[in-house]
Amino acid sequence: MLNYRWNWAPIPNYLLRWDEQRGWVANLLLQGLLTTLRLSLWSMALAAIFGMVIAVLRSSAQLLPRLVGRAYVELMRNTPPLVLIFVGYFFVSSQVMPLLGIDAAIRGASPASLTAIDFCFGEPRLLKNFLSAMIVLALFEGAYVAEILRAGIQSIGVGQWDAALALGMGRLKALRLVILPQALARMVPPLAGQFISLIKDSSVVSLISIQDLTFMANDVAVSTGRVFETWITASGLYFCVCFMLSLGFRRLERRLAR
Amino acid sequence: MKRRTLLQGAGLVALARPAFAAGSVIDDIKARGVLRAGLSTFVPWAMRDKTGKLIGYELDVGARLAADLGVKHEPMPTAWDGIIPALLAGNFDIIIGGMTVTPARSESVDFTEAYSFSGVHFVASRKTAPGLTSLDAFNRADFTVVARRGTNAVPVVQARLPKATLRQFDDDAQALQELLNGNAMAWFTSTPKPAFAAVDNAAVLYLPVEKAIEPQRDAMAIRKGDPAGIAALNTWIAARKVDGFLADRFHYWFEGRTWLPQTQA
Repeated sequence: MLNYRWNWAPIPNYLLRWDEQRGWVANLLLQGLLTTLRLSLWSMALAAIFGMVIAVLRSSAQLLPRLVGRAYVELMRNTPPLVLIFVGYFFVSSQVMPLLGIDAAIRGASPASLTAIDFCFGEPRLLKNFLSAMIVLALFEGAYVAEILRAGIQSIGVGQWDAALALGMGRLKALRLVILPQALARMVPPLAGQFISLIKDSSVVSLISIQDLTFMANDVAVSTGRVFETWITASGLYFCVCFMLSLGFRRLERRLAR
Repeated sequence: MKRRTLLQGAGLVALARPAFAAGSVIDDIKARGVLRAGLSTFVPWAMRDKTGKLIGYELDVGARLAADLGVKHEPMPTAWDGIIPALLAGNFDIIIGGMTVTPARSESVDFTEAYSFSGVHFVASRKTAPGLTSLDAFNRADFTVVARRGTNAVPVVQARLPKATLRQFDDDAQALQELLNGNAMAWFTSTPKPAFAAVDNAAVLYLPVEKAIEPQRDAMAIRKGDPAGIAALNTWIAARKVDGFLADRFHYWFEGRTWLPQTQA
């Protein structure tokens, strides 16, 4: 039996709060949602690039690129995201990030560029963490994107290739003008699903202290003691974002199907 | 425990990098002008107030340390599970987060002298374990107790209640809920939470014993191999003990709840 005294009163304040100087401002939960959205968008963009590279490797005519692509996809798909995120993050943030000199660059950056960074990536002082998490998430999701792209291209019948080549097109031109337009329509639904699951998967970054919606919800739940109210609110926010994306992608699908 | 091995694995990755600057971490902090202190949300050590700001004992301690060093204080909220790897990876300079000194932790970080003295305490359910007045009464095979994973309460329960079943949760809030739901007999955690919980849920919970069952020493932690840093921090702690700053802050956050309006609407 659930022995719990419900009290929703503290929750709205953690979404939006009234500030004497600035009026209504986003509080922890909405700030967390913004971080989740920023992280998801950038990761998906990066994952698309990784995915394209891997998909090209996997459909290469030579053995070595195919093996490399295959190894990458199988490694990423068959290990738990939590382990990848945890180990990957500490590797990236302690080995790769110092080489890039991010911290020093931030401390010496001009106010204008700091504002730009704040808009794109969130708080500049947490940029290093944010970039590490973004890279690790993108590496992970890139494997799935690669498979979607490869499957989309390979699902187009060989006859289409033959016909295009017979008309005197090169392979690249055939891909661009004949194969991709057809493949794209088939790729959109699974890519949409992947993007939506990336938004939800991104909640594992709370473990590596990215202050996303899950991290903030945990902070609010612990600080106020309003555990269920906070987590239900956070789930509601995830649902709203993902459902709106679903609707958007359905539209896109219809347009491509025309 | 699976997560524990994972944690140590990540620690190794971090240790594999070339040694940090040869100087003390205190020199790094002064050169940078910023004290980056890692902490995890844990009432009343560190928590969020209504405006989203971090407040708590550790925030007061960190702010004063930074002020005394003449630098800016930058608290870095971190998931408890990853706080030691994050320190080793250089994400912050020091853990000021109510971390209890344990032999296992001392293998990966260096601790200062204790700057606060909490203890492991517990609160029991009136419904499932009524009328008990000693810790030993809970050492029964048909008893289930709960605690937050990765805290010092876990080894204490394992040593003192070998017969009871211990179930671990990611957070204290979930452990408390399990106790309130009547699925456990007692919840073990750091003082002062059991006493606060007993007051908040007087109809359901009670304190079988008044005092903490095991004292613990909470200290600041820095990366290994920095005796100069430890010495400097120890000097600071000793000075703040003498002038009563630490005792005063401890009294405010742990021995009463006049701060409660800051977090509760």
